Amino acid sequence: MIVQLLVTGIALGSMYGLVALGYHITWVTSRTMNFSQGHAVMAGAVVAFAFYVGLGWPLWAAVLATLVILAALGIGLERVAVRPFFRVASPAWLLSTIACGIIAENVAMLTFGKDARAFPSALTQKPILVGGAGFYAQELLIPVVGLFLMGGVQLFYHRTAYGKQLKAVAYNPEAAGLMGIHIPRAVMCAYGLSALLAGIAGVLLAPVLNVAATMGTIIGLKAFAVAIIGGLNSAPGIMVAGLGYGLVESFVAGYLSTGAREIIGFALVILVLVVRPWGLLGSRPARRV
Amino acid sequence: MRRITLLLLVLAIGCVLPLASQAGEPIKIGLTAAVSGGSAASGEAIKKGLQIAMDEINAKGLLGGRKLELVIRDDEGNPAKGVTIARELVEREKAVAIFGGLHTTVALAQVPVWHELRTPYMGVWAAGTEITRNGKSPNFVFRVSANDDYVDKFLVRYAADTLKKSKPGLLLENTAWGQSNEAGLNKYLGQKTIKPVGTEKFNWNDPDMSPQLLRLKNAGADHVILVGNAPEAAQVVKSRAKIGWEIPMVSHWGVSGGRFAELTGDLSDGVVFFQTYSFFGKQNERGQYVLKALKDKYGVKGPEEIIAPVGVANAYDGLHLVAVAIEQAGATDGVKLRDALENLKAEHKGLIKTYKRPFTPDQHDALTDEDYVLVVWKGGQIVPVAMK
Repeated sequence: MIVQLLVTGIALGSMYGLVALGYHITWVTSRTMNFSQGHAVMAGAVVAFAFYVGLGWPLWAAVLATLVILAALGIGLERVAVRPFFRVASPAWLLSTIACGIIAENVAMLTFGKDARAFPSALTQKPILVGGAGFYAQELLIPVVGLFLMGGVQLFYHRTAYGKQLKAVAYNPEAAGLMGIHIPRAVMCAYGLSALLAGIAGVLLAPVLNVAATMGTIIGLKAFAVAIIGGLNSAPGIMVAGLGYGLVESFVAGYLSTGAREIIGFALVILVLVVRPWGLLGSRPARRV
Repeated sequence: MRRITLLLLVLAIGCVLPLASQAGEPIKIGLTAAVSGGSAASGEAIKKGLQIAMDEINAKGLLGGRKLELVIRDDEGNPAKGVTIARELVEREKAVAIFGGLHTTVALAQVPVWHELRTPYMGVWAAGTEITRNGKSPNFVFRVSANDDYVDKFLVRYAADTLKKSKPGLLLENTAWGQSNEAGLNKYLGQKTIKPVGTEKFNWNDPDMSPQLLRLKNAGADHVILVGNAPEAAQVVKSRAKIGWEIPMVSHWGVSGGRFAELTGDLSDGVVFFQTYSFFGKQNERGQYVLKALKDKYGVKGPEEIIAPVGVANAYDGLHLVAVAIEQAGATDGVKLRDALENLKAEHKGLIKTYKRPFTPDQHDALTDEDYVLVVWKGGQIVPVAMK
């Protein structure tokens, strides 16, 4: 039982972590985020389904097309729903990104349909059974890709010049602008990256969660909780928090009850907000005097 | 003289015209169902069943050549909207009988309206027990569909008597529907002095059900009774394979729709559930006719392509019963029609069964657990199971 709950928790948790990285990417650059990151994941899954199952493209081509489209969507989202408010330092991006998510969900309902559909994958045909516990190979792929992407994001922001420039934008937009960093382009780039990540998450999660127009809400919300717990400005923190959150969910459901799962999960968010508002591994913001 | 002839002629035409128009005036049948949103497929299925039956009835005409006409309103699964629509269908559209959709909540909210407006209602999907057992007398609500109370009885009977299992684990969706079935299942299990070893819930869109299944497994369950819709039931089946738990699974009819087979592949093999009718296997005369009509009219190639088949079958039989009642009553007046439905004299050979006085003052469900068909998923197909 413990082994199975562990496996289930890790599989779930890495999904949350993977999706939550999308919040991190734009937050680090612009102190804004796409509140509908979950819907972006849904869009990734739906678009990939359309190419792979609908049009019968080979998997690699479908994934490639999905990533291109998602990045474009991310850039479009920034242009429409974030930039007008970023410029005037208004928090209205919060509402406008939610609005975009609702629009996306309804567009998906109209075009893709209302039924949940299966995303065929060789990795979810038969579970792998090891010592009384089982998992689908796809569920193993998610944490692997998740950790890999986390490493990539981390390297990008800390080791590359462009990554550092993006971070500088959030730290002090004026100074960054004076140093010759094109701020709108930097924010746009972050949104493109974030949506690209959502696309990868969508393709990876689709075989496990099935593809549905309504799949984005819950996963987006839980990923957000994970991002808050881990610290919005720490990619490793988010992955760790994701895994932790998945494990808590799985063990609470296994040993207490399913009903207690959401209660305890979100109570943890509040606890973290009170005790460490900057998150488990997030850096404490410098106090301006 | 010529003028008088002309006058007479005009008078004669004037007398005959209203009669003729009355003979040809269509009889309106209403439908209040969700035809948009997540449950749109159910509304579409009901529409198809009604349309096929209507074409058949209209070929002969009713009450000396009058035709039926369908008026559809989308209640979106919203009870408040359902009440408004109920009034509109009767008061403005002058529909003489109304058909209902998937949502128990809507059907329950509409019950008082049918009684106030004295218009018969025919439920063809929503299975809530209190829809027909509503305590009204005379009762204007009829149903050709499942009734949760009979369903729970049916599922328990199969598990306890046929499978001879005595340690059920209940796995229910965390909604009012799950809750009402929890009560029903416990009632019938109690009659057999069986106590569930565990009761677990899941939410809509839950991705992984292995913790719930593990709890039931550790509690010693020897079979699982499942109440949920296709997407969640699919995750249940996938999680069951994951924890490697080979166990009989008996389910409410949620697994029949929503592409359950596509979502689960071979993993759904062996999940037993019930339907009011199955288009798979050998068909009676009506079955062949409906299959052909579905093909000609809607391009449905075979039984595996019928989405939400119970909606089609129930609506088809329901409308035929209403037509029989209209002929018997000789009128379209709501009270007379209701009385006729409750005392149908002619035997009606339907799709699901042959109806011999399907409704009585104490029984407003035409179908009971005796009529349900036990079926099982096998290789992506629904196959009937013999019930001893």
